[in-house]
Amino acid sequence: MTDPFLLIAYILLFPGFLFLFAYSMTFEFLDRRIVARMQNRVGPPFFQPFADLVKTLGKEVIDPRGVDRPIFDAAPVVALAAVMTSFLYVPIIGPSPLAFQGDLVLVLYLLTLPTLALMLLGWLSRNIYAAVGGIRAVTMLFIYEVPFFLALMMPTLMAGTWSISDIMAWQEEHLCLAILQPIAFIVALIGLQAKLERTPFDIPEAETEIVAGPWTELTGRRLALMHLANETSAVVGSALIAAVFLGGLAFPWTVESAILSATVGFLLFLAKTVAILLVLSIIRAATARVRLDQLNTIGWKYLTMAALAQVGIVLVMMASGVGI
Amino acid sequence: MTRIVVPIGPQHPALKEPVNFRVVTDGERIVDLELNLSYSHRGIEKAAEQRDFIRVLPLIERVCGICSHSHATVFSKGIEEIMGVEIPPRAQYIRTIIAELERMHSHMLWLGVAAHEVGFNTLFMWTWRDREAVLDTLEELSGNRVHYNMNEIGGVRLDLSPSQVEAALARMPVLEERIRAYVGMVEDEETMLTRFRGVGSLSREEALSFGAVGPTARASGVDYDVRKDDPYLVYDEIPWNVVTDTNGDVYGRTKVRIGEIAESLGIVRHCLENLPGGPIRAEAPKAAPPGEILSRYEAPRGEVAHFIRTNGTARVERVDIRTPTLANWTSVAHCLIGRPLADVPVIVAAIDPCLSCTSRITLVKSGGDLGKDAPPPNGPRGWSR
Amino acid sequence: MIEPLTLDGVANAVAGVAGAVDKASTNRIRVRTTREGLRDVIRRVQWLLPCDRLVSISTVDTTESIELHYHLIGQHRTVVTVTVELPRDAPEIETVSDLLPSAALYERQIHDLFGVVFRGHPGLTRLILNDDWPRDEHPLRKDWKPVAGTFYGGAGRRGPG
Repeated sequence: MTDPFLLIAYILLFPGFLFLFAYSMTFEFLDRRIVARMQNRVGPPFFQPFADLVKTLGKEVIDPRGVDRPIFDAAPVVALAAVMTSFLYVPIIGPSPLAFQGDLVLVLYLLTLPTLALMLLGWLSRNIYAAVGGIRAVTMLFIYEVPFFLALMMPTLMAGTWSISDIMAWQEEHLCLAILQPIAFIVALIGLQAKLERTPFDIPEAETEIVAGPWTELTGRRLALMHLANETSAVVGSALIAAVFLGGLAFPWTVESAILSATVGFLLFLAKTVAILLVLSIIRAATARVRLDQLNTIGWKYLTMAALAQVGIVLVMMASGVGI
Repeated sequence: MTRIVVPIGPQHPALKEPVNFRVVTDGERIVDLELNLSYSHRGIEKAAEQRDFIRVLPLIERVCGICSHSHATVFSKGIEEIMGVEIPPRAQYIRTIIAELERMHSHMLWLGVAAHEVGFNTLFMWTWRDREAVLDTLEELSGNRVHYNMNEIGGVRLDLSPSQVEAALARMPVLEERIRAYVGMVEDEETMLTRFRGVGSLSREEALSFGAVGPTARASGVDYDVRKDDPYLVYDEIPWNVVTDTNGDVYGRTKVRIGEIAESLGIVRHCLENLPGGPIRAEAPKAAPPGEILSRYEAPRGEVAHFIRTNGTARVERVDIRTPTLANWTSVAHCLIGRPLADVPVIVAAIDPCLSCTSRITLVKSGGDLGKDAPPPNGPRGWSR
Repeated sequence: MIEPLTLDGVANAVAGVAGAVDKASTNRIRVRTTREGLRDVIRRVQWLLPCDRLVSISTVDTTESIELHYHLIGQHRTVVTVTVELPRDAPEIETVSDLLPSAALYERQIHDLFGVVFRGHPGLTRLILNDDWPRDEHPLRKDWKPVAGTFYGGAGRRGPG
């Protein structure tokens, strides 16, 4: 895919930004719908997330008194840009045309940027709820990031490559990494839930304590863009885990036509990401919010330890040649 | 970390009613607390002195939106006692039925709110859905969902027809099943347990000395329940138990409330099945002889006390209302010091605060801006110790 | 459960510090005392009967005096009401908030609405009324009427500053 037109189409249209945008709207719809059904509610119609976005984009932007406007405006854009960029390195149908050794590290760090933007927004809002929320967001970052990174680094250990596309290809030859490294898979799912700040990890935006946390002073397009950044990182996170851990779940029969084969691959991608979303939504509906000090215990005592145990297991497996 | 003052309220998502806490935190930990609860005064006590009993009852009922029947019953009970009027058994049974249905819907509402405070919205949606069944029953029996207006001096306003009784009984099995589901949820849901266990602990001695009432006190092993201590209506004739718990924390209060929903259901069912015949009201004189009474009643949130003095006319000389929430505030302040900020909504919600009934007394609605030019701090040491 | 209190039992416990003891209703015994004797009576009621919880402090303005009724209850489930009369022109009394912590809030409320001063109270500030309510007006007193032209707080008119 060296044709520049194809590359631009890949980045802008499919499976680039346009698809990401559309899919994140669908994702939000599915998430809200699943949770609503679990809560015995009807839930929103299909176009509701899109309608919400358009409406918020058109709303008046209010500056809190004394806020540093350029940075306040820039932070949501940076967050959204980071998430959208990271999506380009995640394989959707085949390997990503932009793949290189180390793109996994790049994606992980780009996915951290929204949290940092959120902290910045909270700090700049000159609002006590936002400031406390921003502090909480960063404190949480230090707790979940370690096990999350450890869990996502383990496939590289086994596959011997730092490229997401290569890890995916490796799984098609060997076994699905979710089966080979189940603990890492679960830790990664929980880490993703924490990264997306969803219940039980919605501590930075705990409504009943600090109103909306860093989101309190966001209005109009700032709110819309930040919200979009959050939704798109849900898609990117799910796609990343789908590629890294569920890459082996390929269609068992070879399909003749290239277009048909691509369609099948695409449908598989949708199925995997929606399955991950389903798990995340069920966790969201079935739990209560934990406290920051309790998350500290969960994160360091259990998640990090589980991830480290998985490192040990992987090393033993590699030494004895199991699964390779 | 430097100290931060986090204002909670008077408008805040955690609070369903206006109250203002100025929480001083050191990082996430609360080190000091100031309380302002005077936002929704309506001057009911003064207004009650100007009206005759017939007009006072609807007014008293509006002291609280949730325990409306409680306030009306405790008031009419007191007036009837001063008058020496014995209300017919059927009226007593009907009052008891409404009272216990009210307790059920209040506790279900609380359970939902408590779950919402810790971000467990699923339980919130479920309990509020099932609460609708109780509210529907109340609407069928009284014609209203919230202010039932069933009481009048000397009896009740409406009789229950056999078909109404049947319809109400038919709803009971479903509710029974739902209550069992809640018990399971509260005892098994790990994230909720971590937020409730050991939070807002109150020992038996503390509960007594801070004057806690209702489920808040009963969760600490205090077995005060006016229904047993000073039986009114038909509570001494029917089988039921006082629910207590020894945990003393929010988890204990949850367990007590769920236990009480089950007990109330039993009482309602018993009363509906054994509803005696006869008239529903006794002839009551218009004026009450001079007298004074401390009328006590176990509302869903705890003991309500009305101190009523009459002067031989059809008006009260004075009615002094002590609501359960005011009695429980002292213990809340004690529980909050030293806890993380995240526990504020949980601990405050655990007493099931009803702020409008607590601050019902003055005449002018307070709209004073208490933000920047707030009064000198009156921390918990000022009023709780 | 402990037996209910008897009239004689209460009279014995408060003998020497209190005035008349009578039965107010089936389940309530009233002890009359003066403002000097209040703390002694409360202490005796608390420790000798014993009563472990304060139900409420009720207040009545009888137009001649202001009556305070301290209702206490214990494991015997009998309410003991300690009644004190205060002169209307100088209603002052010692606080009991150190003996009964829960009294502090009730005392603040009574201070607010009746103008009773509780000496020794750790923080006798406004509880019920708004902060811009006139200092010397106590709305639950019988003779209180809103004075035309007086600012009672609220969003309508702001005071200076």
